[in-house]
This record gives sequence, structure tokens and C-alpha cells, in this order.
Amino acid sequence: MSIRVEILSAPGCGKCALAKDKLKSVAEEFGPDKVAWREINVLDEIDYAVELGLIAPPAIAINGKLVFQTLPSIHKLREELAKRLCNEI
Amino acid sequence: MESASNKRVGRQPVANKLVQEKSLIIVPAITHVVQSGPVQGSATLTVGKVAKMAQVSTDTIRYYEKEGLITPAKKSHSGYRLYHPDALRRLHFIKHAKHAGFSLSEIRELLMLKNRKDACCNDVQRLAVEKKLQLEQKIKSLKIMSQTLTELLNIGTDKTKPLDQCPILAALERSLNLEKPASREEQENEH
Repeated sequence: MSIRVEILSAPGCGKCALAKDKLKSVAEEFGPDKVAWREINVLDEIDYAVELGLIAPPAIAINGKLVFQTLPSIHKLREELAKRLCNEI
Repeated sequence: MESASNKRVGRQPVANKLVQEKSLIIVPAITHVVQSGPVQGSATLTVGKVAKMAQVSTDTIRYYEKEGLITPAKKSHSGYRLYHPDALRRLHFIKHAKHAGFSLSEIRELLMLKNRKDACCNDVQRLAVEKKLQLEQKIKSLKIMSQTLTELLNIGTDKTKPLDQCPILAALERSLNLEKPASREEQENEH
């Protein structure tokens, strides 16, 4: 079973675009069979954002739970994903 | 706040009323100027005139001033606050932002953004998205509360029962017991 990583952001967020690419590359390091990456525009999926309890984008949800209220460093995301994959084994 | 001001208007001396009636005559001209851009020259309005034109109370304007949302252009020799007609545009902005759910401190932030040279539309959009999320969260909570009330109302319909047999109160009591943490004795019995 793969981990589902969702990045929630609003359109026009300049700093998000840069950070998103870096974080996406971290997810891709694990391979698509292990980590699935999805980008969500909160305005398109406002109900889902509310369900997650999002207060302010950008943020990251993992497996349907809000894990990072602000965008993490690539190191933190890598660590979190590695820990979860390790627990799955 | 607004009703208090209305009472105050009612107590105004005749001379002041006449001044206000005169101000009504100039409304179209001033409104036109406000819509077409900043006013040149030294035209100023008293707090009463601004309040009437913006359809808010004078107390509201004083409160906004205290909160740093609006400032008088100058004071008259007698100490009356005098406002630039641009203040009207600002008051309309505040009213609209309030209708969109923004708090006064958030409106202050929006107004500050308007004056910042390095700010852009993205900054405003960020605030708007955050406000929308806040409102949606509130709606979600209110729906849950409403649903809980519906469930409570569906419990019993006999309105003549005494209070100690009221099923709604009993259900609320039960929910309180469910939320209470178990005592040590109870925990030991469970094991």
C-alpha cells in the first residue's frame, strides 16, 4: 500500500510553487508505488480542506490527515515518509 | 451602536440639523467626486455628514478611528473632526469587508496592504482564502450543532412531563457521563 501525500495550496502562491517542486521531488525519490503525490487547489476542493481542518494554506496531508500545517523542509518530509514506510513493513 | 447615535441625532439643536440638511443637498456632488478619484482641494466633512452619507453611526466612525481604520483629515478650530471625502470610500470598503466576514483587525491588515508598495493581489487572496476556510469551518460546526439539536428534539414529544423526566435533559446528562473520565476504582474493576 502506498502513502498518499497531498499538498494543499491556493492559486497564485508564489512561494508555494518553488517549495512544491522541491517537496514533490522528495516524494518521487521513494517511487510512485510507495508514495503517491497529489496537488490540491483548496478553492476547488474546499469541502475536503475543511474536513482536514485546514486553517491556512499551504499545508500537507498524509493519508487523509493534516500532518504539516505549513510546508515542511525537504528533510522533514523525507524523514516523515521514511518513518511511515518503515512502519508499514 | 447605531441606535445610540440615532437618538443623539434626535437631540441635536436646530442649527446642527440645518447643517445636516444642507449636507444632504451636496451628497450627489460629493458622491460623484468620491467615485471618480481622490478629491483635490480642502473640502472636508464633519463626522455627522460622513456618517449619514456612509449610512453608519457617528459612534461607529469614532470606534473605527479608535481602531486605526480611519483618521480625520484635520480638526476645526472648535475641535470638531473633519474628514476628507475619501473617508467615505474607506467606510464603504470597511462595510463590504465586514459583510464578507472580515474582522476589524483583518480589515486593518487589508487597508495596510492597500498602502504597501511591495504588496500584490496574492497577499489579498491569501487573506480571502483563509477567511473562506474559517467560515466553512464555522458552517461545519454549526451544522453539527444543528444536527445534535435535531437528534435531541426527536427523542421525546411529551411536553407535559416534569423537568426531571425531560428526555432532552436526560440525554444531555448521559452525554456528560460518557465524557467523564472513569475513576480509578472503575478502571480497576474493568481489569
